[in-house]
Amino acid sequence: MPKSKIDIIKVIESKLENKVQIQLGQLGKAVVVTNNGFHRDVMKAMVDADEYTAISAITGLDLGANLGVLYHVRTSNSFVTLRAEVPKDNPKIQTLTDIAPSATFHELEVTDLLGVVFEGNPLPGHFVLSEYWPQGVYPLRKDVKASEVKLNPPPAEDTEEPDMGRVVKIIVGPQHPALLEPEKFAVTVDGETVTKVEPRIGYVHRGIEKAAESRTYLQDVYLVERICGICNVIHGCNFVETVEKILKTEVPSRAKYLRVIALELNRLHSHLLTLGHAGLEIGYETLFQYFWRDREPIMDLIELTSGNRVYSSLMTIGGVRRDIRESDIPKIKTTLVDLRKKLPFYRKIYEEEPSIRARMKNVGVLKREDALKLGVVGPVARGSGVDIDVRKDEPYEAYAEIPFKEIVYTAGDTWARMNVRMDEVEESINIIEYALDHLPAGPFRVKAPRAVPAGEACNRVEAPRGELFAYVRSNGTAFPERVKVRTPTYANIPAFLKTAIGESIADVPPNFVSLDPCFSCTDR
Amino acid sequence: MIANAVTWARVKSPWVLHFNSGACNGCDIEIVALLTPKYDVERFGIKLEPSPRHADVLLVTGCVTQQCAERLKRIYDQMPQPKFVVAIGACACSGGVFEGNYNVVGGADKVIPVTAYIPGCPPRPEALMDGVVKLLNALSPPKPKKQPKQPKQPKQEEPVETPTPVEIKPIIEESKVDAKK
Repeated sequence: MPKSKIDIIKVIESKLENKVQIQLGQLGKAVVVTNNGFHRDVMKAMVDADEYTAISAITGLDLGANLGVLYHVRTSNSFVTLRAEVPKDNPKIQTLTDIAPSATFHELEVTDLLGVVFEGNPLPGHFVLSEYWPQGVYPLRKDVKASEVKLNPPPAEDTEEPDMGRVVKIIVGPQHPALLEPEKFAVTVDGETVTKVEPRIGYVHRGIEKAAESRTYLQDVYLVERICGICNVIHGCNFVETVEKILKTEVPSRAKYLRVIALELNRLHSHLLTLGHAGLEIGYETLFQYFWRDREPIMDLIELTSGNRVYSSLMTIGGVRRDIRESDIPKIKTTLVDLRKKLPFYRKIYEEEPSIRARMKNVGVLKREDALKLGVVGPVARGSGVDIDVRKDEPYEAYAEIPFKEIVYTAGDTWARMNVRMDEVEESINIIEYALDHLPAGPFRVKAPRAVPAGEACNRVEAPRGELFAYVRSNGTAFPERVKVRTPTYANIPAFLKTAIGESIADVPPNFVSLDPCFSCTDR
Repeated sequence: MIANAVTWARVKSPWVLHFNSGACNGCDIEIVALLTPKYDVERFGIKLEPSPRHADVLLVTGCVTQQCAERLKRIYDQMPQPKFVVAIGACACSGGVFEGNYNVVGGADKVIPVTAYIPGCPPRPEALMDGVVKLLNALSPPKPKKQPKQPKQPKQEEPVETPTPVEIKPIIEESKVDAKK
């Protein structure tokens, strides 16, 4: 389905003339300053005009006497920010969840970390922080010192769950054979059918956003990378791009190509990892071993080009930290050709293998309209026929110059989501080969000023798991005032809660892994 | 005699439990990579075990977060004696870059006793293998020298009778040492 060409700014202007103030060219396409109440009207106008409208992220800000709430909204062809402010002594604002269901979890996070109360949000309680977190302490407020927070003592005994008859509540996690990471899902089943899923995230919440405020911009590159050990390159890249926007630094074109190569190598290893992990979750361990065997040469390439298998901190403000060696290019190419030769075999497995078809076809179907409404991103959205890919929609680095296909499947089931990744592996190989062939000469880094002027910027990139968003606010000192990262996995949780309901409990693992869950990303 | 057999079995086939106590997945993915064809630690008898009740060695990754601290302690308590804890990665060793954050307790040794530390961010799979092998060497009794006329050599105390894991010297391992196979 082709995307609409609506100019969303004109829509807002025509519907809410004189009620809101529009500042063009900031935080995406424009900032719409909305007084209390009007953010709902603006959102309603946007949702009515464009079906792709979804809340991409909500940033909370401590502005002294007031708390700022920034709604970052993604539409089919632009990205706008709604800005609202609430007084700190009465931080209440009306929810957007009834207009845009994608806001639900983003609002919860702002409530937990900054204490803004969204009136009407259906989900109560702590979502990111511990249950024993003291009342009235909001870690992202400026007056809270990280080291002085004391948790309430936990209750002595776990409360017993009431007997619910044939309806059983199964607690998965935090330590569970099926989960590699600590997170808790309370799955209520009636017989074999899942009737309710209650997520409890935050077991990996390390407070990176707060920690980033006490480190310099350059130190933050290393910190922000450590949000996730799988897609670390894209986190570093997203942060440096945002800071470069504030600095107005233009990165040399060779650095842009080198960044693309690093990002796509990262995407390759991440997708191969997930494709294999899906095999593990359905008890098809051979597939897991095969994929991870073929992932190792990619890890070797990452080490060859960046210096380390996992964290190489290649991205830096103003470019990349090391150039690619001319003598390494043939080795990269032969490795990629080897991987490409193996892809038909894997395609055939996913296409024909009965166990894969039985466990993945028509499992966890996410319809297109639900995908749009819930604001899911990345391969999850593209598996449901929603053609959003930041590399195409808002090209960054060298993606505008590199030809590649946007992979879209329409089935919306687990199988489609995995096949999106399978096809993207091939596209990533093409992109790297193109980038190596067309690598421009010149410097790979420019000297960026150490002092960052006061200002704010937001940026989004396409991580292996989908759209990754960052917001950085600078106050002119050596330390950023606020760093916000919204990871793709956080935006994709609602998809799992939606698709798991009504399915068999046995289908939960393959459905869940098809979202490519990464809780260290989710919690930060 | 039984003690010897138990130690032999433990050294030849340690069952490890992996718990992520707030890690970024860097170390965790490297641990999983150990099981896959390139590194394949199962050839040494090392088996990843999902239940704490069956595990000999607990591999802890990540700076321990407030929510995970209690859970980590509980998992440690559930493991049968004797048990050993390996802290993997800079975060599990000391808290790493996340030390001092509001939701972070710090290194794994603030919650449970740690036997061996493998630093690195993340440690390479070779370093992980080397660390585990060093731990196993520390557990195994020294081999009797080939002196057939003195069969009853006094052997060192074996760590079967519920040792507190701190008794074994922490093995500090450089992150970038390549394992000699």
